[in-house]
Amino acid sequence: MPTSAPLFLAFVLKRSEYSNTSLLLELFGDTSGRIAAIARGARRPHQHTSALLQPFQPLWLACRGRGAIQTLTTIEEVSPPLALHGPALLAGFYLNELLMRLLARHDPHPALFVFYQATLAQLAATPELETPLRHFECHLLAELGYGLTLERVVDDGAPIQPTQVYTYVCDCGPCYPSERRHGPLVSGATLLALAQSAPLDATQRREARTLLRMVLEPYLGGRPLHSRELYRHWFAAHHLHES
Amino acid sequence: MGERSLLNQLIDALRCLPGVGPKSARRIAFYLLERDRDGGAQLARVMAEAMVAIRRCTRCRTLTEHDLCALCANPQRDAALLCIVEQPSEVVALEQATDYRGQYFVLGGRLSPLDGIGPDELGLNMLETRLRDEAITEIILAISPTVEGRATAQLITERAARYGIRVTRIAQGVPLGGELEYLDSGTLALAFAGRRDVV
Repeated sequence: MPTSAPLFLAFVLKRSEYSNTSLLLELFGDTSGRIAAIARGARRPHQHTSALLQPFQPLWLACRGRGAIQTLTTIEEVSPPLALHGPALLAGFYLNELLMRLLARHDPHPALFVFYQATLAQLAATPELETPLRHFECHLLAELGYGLTLERVVDDGAPIQPTQVYTYVCDCGPCYPSERRHGPLVSGATLLALAQSAPLDATQRREARTLLRMVLEPYLGGRPLHSRELYRHWFAAHHLHES
Repeated sequence: MGERSLLNQLIDALRCLPGVGPKSARRIAFYLLERDRDGGAQLARVMAEAMVAIRRCTRCRTLTEHDLCALCANPQRDAALLCIVEQPSEVVALEQATDYRGQYFVLGGRLSPLDGIGPDELGLNMLETRLRDEAITEIILAISPTVEGRATAQLITERAARYGIRVTRIAQGVPLGGELEYLDSGTLALAFAGRRDVV
């Protein structure tokens, strides 16, 4: 009699069809990190697990198997799925794509899992999506060991002043602006808001977007993020309609 | 040796059919060779022809050997209604199950940003041309109720709104003969929210 595998909290990052009736899933679990698993028979008619095994649905799962791809043995919902609609849904896909690209398999990140869950809840609750996205990117980078320097000037270790403008040099941090230094100009207020996960105003959001895009770039392996393209596409269509 | 390898080739080739593993492939191969050579020859002939001649309808993207599929070419169909589905097989299922008399548009999948399937792959530009040029008054979305399906539906709704076209989607809820106890809470909640008067 095999002992039952322990349950863990997880979200589906991506699902694809596998053989005739199964699903191949990329999961992000609290204790497991990113793993791949197969849900056997989930696509059979009258199987409600297919309805549960979707992105943004908090799940209790158990797996068995030791190989690269495990088999799901238990699937239960924790609560109803997070209600992401319109641009928030695309933002959710963006989070998933970032995790798929940046997390290695079998590398647990319990703190990031909690932050992911909280970010999804924020995306579902607020119309302003950029602030939660930027904070998530900062946390993700910090978890991976590529955290940004946000509170000290690299040159002399002085604390960042909210009213000052700095040049953020990639792989280094905020420096006093000079002609020799290349990188986006970022105000001290933006850096401090990112450090403290505080709300960002319109200018800060623009600065933070430019900054994080530059910092994330080297870790994405030179390939564009599909969900970012889609996000842009959506907004282009939306503005066309609005105007 | 040559004969044997042709048999093996046949068995291997049959394995491309969905749900056919090595054992079933062997069974099918022997059945055709020993009991139904005419059937096998006919299958090979039609298959060869179909694989070359069948392509996508230039108007609705379903599978057809003509430029326009039979449904698009039929003047009796209601041009004001457009039903959007993911796969050509769903056109057939809807035609058999419903008395729908409008037109179709086949996406060929659903939006899946993580797989790189975006608006271009789903022919949304082609759809938009139809929305602009044809007198469509209602779009019926018959897209799987998954998260990706929802994103697809939102993108289409957004585009339809530009042309002031009404968008509906097929109902979601308890399957016929299903038992409430075994339904997932998402489906049950949708079914409850979409309740209707008993007539």
